[in-house]
Amino acid sequence: MSAINDTRDRRNRALWIGLALPGAIWLLVLLVAPFYVMLAVAGGGVNEFFQTVVPIWNPLHWSSWNFSAVWHDIFGRGSFIGPPALRTLIYTAIATLLCLGISYPVAYFVSRYAGRRKTLFLVLLIAPFWVSYMMRMLAWIDLLQQGGFLNSAMSAIGLPGNTDWLGGKSVTVILGLVYGYIPYVILVLFAFLDRIDQSLLEAARDLGLSKWQTFWHVTLRLSKPALIAGTFITALPMLGDYFTNQLLSGAPGTTMIGNAIEGQLDSPGEVGQGAVLALMLLVVLLIPMIYYVISTARASMENA
Amino acid sequence: MHPREGWSEGGIRRRPSWEEAAISRRSLLAGAAGLALGGLLASGCSTTNPAAAASVPPLPRTDRPVKWPVYADNKPIASGLEPEKGATLQLYNWVAYINEAVIKSFCKKYDCKYALTTFNTIEEALAKLTTGELKFDVFFPTVPVLGQMIAQKLIRPLNHSYIPNIANVWADYRDPGHPFYDQDWQYTTPYSIYTTGMAWRKDKVNLTPSWDMPWQASAYAGKVAVLDDYRETISLALMKAGNFDLNTTDPTQIQAAGRALQQLSSLTNVRIDNNDYTDVPDGKTWVHHAWSGDMATAADYLAKGTSINDIGYWFPANHKGPVANDLMVNLTGGSNPVLAHLFINYMLDVNNALNNYSYVGYMQPLTEVTPAKLTKEQLLPPQLASTVVLPDYFRNGVFQLELPPAADALWESTWNTFSKGL
Repeated sequence: MSAINDTRDRRNRALWIGLALPGAIWLLVLLVAPFYVMLAVAGGGVNEFFQTVVPIWNPLHWSSWNFSAVWHDIFGRGSFIGPPALRTLIYTAIATLLCLGISYPVAYFVSRYAGRRKTLFLVLLIAPFWVSYMMRMLAWIDLLQQGGFLNSAMSAIGLPGNTDWLGGKSVTVILGLVYGYIPYVILVLFAFLDRIDQSLLEAARDLGLSKWQTFWHVTLRLSKPALIAGTFITALPMLGDYFTNQLLSGAPGTTMIGNAIEGQLDSPGEVGQGAVLALMLLVVLLIPMIYYVISTARASMENA
Repeated sequence: MHPREGWSEGGIRRRPSWEEAAISRRSLLAGAAGLALGGLLASGCSTTNPAAAASVPPLPRTDRPVKWPVYADNKPIASGLEPEKGATLQLYNWVAYINEAVIKSFCKKYDCKYALTTFNTIEEALAKLTTGELKFDVFFPTVPVLGQMIAQKLIRPLNHSYIPNIANVWADYRDPGHPFYDQDWQYTTPYSIYTTGMAWRKDKVNLTPSWDMPWQASAYAGKVAVLDDYRETISLALMKAGNFDLNTTDPTQIQAAGRALQQLSSLTNVRIDNNDYTDVPDGKTWVHHAWSGDMATAADYLAKGTSINDIGYWFPANHKGPVANDLMVNLTGGSNPVLAHLFINYMLDVNNALNNYSYVGYMQPLTEVTPAKLTKEQLLPPQLASTVVLPDYFRNGVFQLELPPAADALWESTWNTFSKGL
């Protein structure tokens, strides 16, 4: 008997290892290895001949050369990181709030009132992912330019129709961010709202709560983890986004931290500093990420 | 060897921009620990560049030409050799910077195969070349990296007997003692040549083109752009102030140029991009600091209803403005040096150069390549004849060349302050 159990155990273990292997290799090759390269570049030097990066692979030999250069970029004479960092925070905060504000009613509607058409709505919500992010942003250039669709539409209803939306405006960048990331929020909110047990809502109504009170005390409270997840799923990529900005503005007055990093990567001899900035961004992003992991773990324990 | 600026055998080169601020290592460690990077720094052994230990070659200038040494262990190939048989010619070039039809016709003539590998920035290319893993025969570098590549023996000196087509090239590139960056063209032949000027929409903008044009264009705010290139755009601000020393190391001049650019930003909300060739013809930008070779292809990107008559490219009438040319060289790492010489010669043939131009838009400095010839062959609309570079431009033009590291760091930090915005 025990011999049979043993082989079954062994077979099970082999199965689990086999199932975990592709994921583990994926992580190792596409996350851990590139991350180590980034560390080696950040801790490395610059070839004085060519201004190219010289990664140092042995952590014991890492140098703080690039770190002190970035320290100077932030705090020293001629520092330039401050304004883009501040703009990044403001843009991300506004865009995230807009995303949540727009997505919640949409997700609520689809999960509660779409009825038989729920699948259709879901497909429509996923539709933007069929077109690449770059193509969607390029499409906005045609829509927003002078003589473009938006300006024509605005003048057709009597509004000033000659706004240069692409001339380096913060509002265009924020709207671009909202547009780019909103499908993610809607899907996350929908997944949570759809799982809310209807009997809880019925119980709340039976116990005398009005429609609004039910929404406020039950639905909204229950969707708190969804709102947090939605916030992170949009805010984290927005904080590192540079592409939206580059296409829809490109003016110095709207640069974000992602553009600063991208700029460093394009400057001879400053690639290592770009790596340091990217690492710092990562550290800053880790804090809310850890909070998120802890809060969801706590929520699932409470549910259990 | 050449006791010129920056050249010190075995000397150590540093980037002093932040060292000048004299930050102490302790304050650095304390502050960085607050940023949760302390662990990383604790393992660091130095705040100086760990890869700095190289000697620095001289910096060529138009008034201080350089004749590079030919090293005993890196001599030109012998004359009269047969091209390699059954070989694959390995080319390493910028993205979209050569017409593959020309390479194909070369390979047909010399019965070889080819492989074209591309790069986006010269730093990327050098990073890969210095690993020594890549075996390229022909490379297309810029002038500022030349001295460093020669000193590292990455480039093989040329045997002129394989390159009779040099006779087609402007005398400025082949006369004894020319060109200034490689006297007697020991290591290089020119590839394409271009100017930096001003592109604008004649139908939208009522201004006379000049280096000051972007600053005059406050009525067209949001429609003004400068190039995403720290040397070009700071140079633009220097020239606006009447300063044509585009390799200046004077902090006052560089910082004044930075302030002028910040002023430009508040006047016009200037954008920074290299899309001159599409954004001007399609109307996204009306005044664009631009490269001649980019604008030569503008006709391909006209928006509906826009005529080529509406597109202008300006380079000053006295021809005093930024001129640059790229190079063709034979790399020591390549295994087909004879074919490489023959290829360089092939590219200097007028018909092949024109065939290449029809795709690239950047011209080669060949005597027969004139505005009249290019418009007659319908390779260039006559309205954009101003994008053609003439020998006179090369003589009167100003060159953006490699800077000593301290000055270069100041140029870069000035650029960062402007381009990241306040």
